Amino acid sequence: MTHPGEITRRQLLRRIGFTAFVAGPGAGLLSACATAGTGAAPAPAPSTSLAASADPKNPFGVDAKKPLEVVIFSGGYTDAYAKEVHEELYKKAYAGVTIKHNATQQIGTQLRPRFVAGDVPDVLNNSGPESMDLTALAAEGHLADLTPLFDAPSIDDPAVRVRDTLTPAVLENARVNGMNLVLNYTVSHRALWYNAKLFASKGWTAPKTWAEFTALGDEAKKEGIVLFAYPGQKGPYYQLWNILYTAAKIGGNQAIIDIDNLVDGVWTADPMRQAVTAWAEIQAKYGDKAYFGLDHTQTQVKQLQNQVLFYPVGSWIENEMAKDIPDDFEYAIAPIPDVTANDAMPYGAIQVGVGENFVVAAKGKNPQGGLEYLRIMLSKEGARGFTEKTKNLTVVNGAAEGVELPAGLVSAAKAQDSAGQNIITEARFEGWYKELFDYGTEQTNRVMAGRITPEQFCTAMQKKADDIKQDESIAKQSRS
Amino acid sequence: MREPARPRSGVLNGLSHVALAVWALLIILPLVWTFLASFKNNTEIFGDPLQLPGELRLDAWGRAWDKAHIGRYMFNTVIVVFFGTAGTMLFGAMAAYVLARFSFAGSKLIYYYFVAGLAFPVFLALGPLFFVVRQFGLLNSHVGLVLVYIAYSLPFTVFFLAAFFRTLPEAVAEAAMIDGASHTRTFFQVMVPMARPGLISITIFNVLGQWNQYLLPLVLVAGDPDKWVLTQGIASISTLAGYEADWPALFAALSLTILPVMVVYVIFQRQIQSGLGAGALK
Amino acid sequence: MRRLRTYGFVAAFLAVPFVLYTVFVISPYIQAFQISLTSWNGYSSVVSYVGLDNFVRLLRDEVFWRALRNHGVMLVTLPLVTIAIALFLSFLLNLGGGPGGSGVRGLWGSRFYRVVFFFPQVLAVAVVGVLFQAIYRPDEVGVLNGVLARLGIEPVGWLIEPSLALWSVIAVMVWQGVGFYVVLFSAGMAAIPKDYFEAAALDGAGRLRLFFSITLPLLRDTVQVGWIYLGIAALDGFALIQVLVGNKGEPDGATTILPITIYNNAFSYGKVGYASAMGVALFFLTVTFAVLTLRTTRRERVEL
Repeated sequence: MTHPGEITRRQLLRRIGFTAFVAGPGAGLLSACATAGTGAAPAPAPSTSLAASADPKNPFGVDAKKPLEVVIFSGGYTDAYAKEVHEELYKKAYAGVTIKHNATQQIGTQLRPRFVAGDVPDVLNNSGPESMDLTALAAEGHLADLTPLFDAPSIDDPAVRVRDTLTPAVLENARVNGMNLVLNYTVSHRALWYNAKLFASKGWTAPKTWAEFTALGDEAKKEGIVLFAYPGQKGPYYQLWNILYTAAKIGGNQAIIDIDNLVDGVWTADPMRQAVTAWAEIQAKYGDKAYFGLDHTQTQVKQLQNQVLFYPVGSWIENEMAKDIPDDFEYAIAPIPDVTANDAMPYGAIQVGVGENFVVAAKGKNPQGGLEYLRIMLSKEGARGFTEKTKNLTVVNGAAEGVELPAGLVSAAKAQDSAGQNIITEARFEGWYKELFDYGTEQTNRVMAGRITPEQFCTAMQKKADDIKQDESIAKQSRS
Repeated sequence: MREPARPRSGVLNGLSHVALAVWALLIILPLVWTFLASFKNNTEIFGDPLQLPGELRLDAWGRAWDKAHIGRYMFNTVIVVFFGTAGTMLFGAMAAYVLARFSFAGSKLIYYYFVAGLAFPVFLALGPLFFVVRQFGLLNSHVGLVLVYIAYSLPFTVFFLAAFFRTLPEAVAEAAMIDGASHTRTFFQVMVPMARPGLISITIFNVLGQWNQYLLPLVLVAGDPDKWVLTQGIASISTLAGYEADWPALFAALSLTILPVMVVYVIFQRQIQSGLGAGALK
Repeated sequence: MRRLRTYGFVAAFLAVPFVLYTVFVISPYIQAFQISLTSWNGYSSVVSYVGLDNFVRLLRDEVFWRALRNHGVMLVTLPLVTIAIALFLSFLLNLGGGPGGSGVRGLWGSRFYRVVFFFPQVLAVAVVGVLFQAIYRPDEVGVLNGVLARLGIEPVGWLIEPSLALWSVIAVMVWQGVGFYVVLFSAGMAAIPKDYFEAAALDGAGRLRLFFSITLPLLRDTVQVGWIYLGIAALDGFALIQVLVGNKGEPDGATTILPITIYNNAFSYGKVGYASAMGVALFFLTVTFAVLTLRTTRRERVEL
């Protein structure tokens, strides 16, 4: 039916939920031709042990009389998806159950003492700037093993296990200290975002090489538009991501993997140095220092006013700004242009990652209910509800079918389609070694503002990474 | 009888007024700007800062009221601060009085014990404090918050009032005692009225301090949003403004918190100022 | 009998405040001191003691020293500037009528000014922080830069230039604090017997002479009280900096202060033991400051 390369790509896309793109133009964008778990894909072997031993309707033995407590990080997605979709589905499945819902932005301040005290919520979305250290929680046995969840029959088709309905990155990222403890729920596309309508009206196209990029910068300057900006307040990590992804584009994903593994000398190696140098030059020639003092929404509003051409962020931006998008603005994603003539990854590579960390408390009052809540989230209905509420995709294959997606998200899906296997990996040290990451955002602002040179940036980061490596009090993680 | 004003005086008076007016404007203008910003839309907020709003939009005030629950939080804050300050004043005055006017073994030590609390950074205690409060089953309750507010306001209150009580003349208290009044009666009927200026001044201090408290409620009543206080509401809507880009609502929420405080302040300003002045002078 | 009654009274009056304070303030802090000797990460049930390791590490931590330096700057400038402005304004308010005219009287409208000056004091720090973010915005949308733009001056990065940021923060603290001290000093000036001024005025002393030879010396005590309040305020500043510039003391740590560093280490990096050690250091810093200030004030009532 297809050649081998196509299958890999198809699998990847199918798992993200974009079956329609693989099926080709004839099938139409995101039409209802679901293939997940049926037809083209090899049918997974049903898990006999679970299917035999448990009621597929209630595989974890949930007691409807037990209340469930859910705590949601209420950030860009707010908490309506939990309150109005998932919790309602849970109540429908277990009539008479009471759910205690709590939304907060201060996850750490509120929940850390509760974990230490052993008075924990059953389900927790541990995200945002104050998210808790999952490694430390795992070491204390606070996090429930999600393996039974992944092996449980899925709600939509009891013959299919939950794990086979998800994009594979979920299973990779679930592991903390060698166990399956975290469920990433959302899929996002990160690269540079721009206004497609502005480009169309000016006759511009997304630049493919660095020379085209700077040429466009000169062009934009004449119009009084800043080629590139990132938020120096609250959001300098957008630019740290951007630099990391650029390094991966130049040197391959190994650059990021080595950084995550605290490999000696990786920060001072060529890919990272070239990436920082390239972006620092863009800032110096085409940037505006005012953005060092603006936060993400302020910067994003300026982009909506066509004062900024490219902005490094993820696909959630469209929902974040939904209320303010003017008629002459349409979000679209552009891959990072080629920095050198022989980048390890060809033009078109973008970062596709999973996010929002859901965990179930192992020592809570209702861990079965917690697992079941996640299973409901991972049902087609639960995932579609999330997409409808937030205009963002979930890790559930094919769940976005039939949902009308906004222009930016469609553009991201197309970009992933053309990226094929050139998907830039996620930098995991953000969660593993927060101190290194925070230090990195600080150094990013310094190097972009020209207060230190790219070389000094690389040396400083390498030194901090070495310090972390030698600090015995910090638990080490590794990946491949 | 009086000399006619010298011309130099007129010029100086003019200059004085200029200096005073400049400082007054520095204070009034930002507040007026906040108020006006609440009627703007995002485009105007991100436009010329010196422009007036295009029309009188009130929708942001509605959203601020709903989302930041300003009304509910204002009520909670008033309750907590009222009982918190009342308790602080009662217990603080009692402790300060005893420590200032009675010498007994260990009185100095206990005084330092209280005053040392001034030097502790509050959030260092947050973690352990959570468990202490939890042990008493007072988490997510206003009673717990009030008790903690009182405890954390004691060091400054004792420090300040002890100094104040020491300045009061001995004779009056002695006379009262000779008349057969008990210590307790002497305290409440003689010393407290005499210490009124000091008490008013430190009351204002505590009201302001507890009104502005953010870290303690953040940890102690985190689990129940119905119990939150105003500062938590502001922090929450400020973060939310970052995620939903609703800046007018943020400024409306700010105005909503500023206005009632201003009104109360203007009504009581004479008492506040005289009390503050008199107390601090002693 | 009477002695016994006195002791009973003392005990009764001290009991409740003593217990409240011990339970809710002292006991958590004792635990915090204890934690400063451990490598606790905030979650672990295993707590291992590391002796004074955390303190040794502190001495080598450049962020710690930077924070100390910033505290030093704030300790000196915040009281100095606030008190200077407050003295100046309250002098104008109270004696502005001058020695001529109707002798000694307040300036016209002084009530109004005093009320307005006190306004910022009643605003929550969170409110002030958000407000000044809008004022300091680094592009022409910022209130301050908008005014500068009208005058043809390029926008200034108030909070993003490392050389400016700390001063911008201090300016906000001054803005908020001055009113309180105007009230304080005004009361002090009002308490100075009017004959002093009248006598001096008859001798032909000008307003400046009056200020330096009569007002200032007689206000000495009040100014010293103000100095202590402001010193304590300078050592805090946590909430304002966090709302105004961010949770890492941006830019480049130019506005880092100890509470910010402690907060990050404890709540973001899971180094609760180390953070507690910093807290202990801050405790001793504050105590030293208080003792030094009080020793030099020689105020009998404040016994330290």
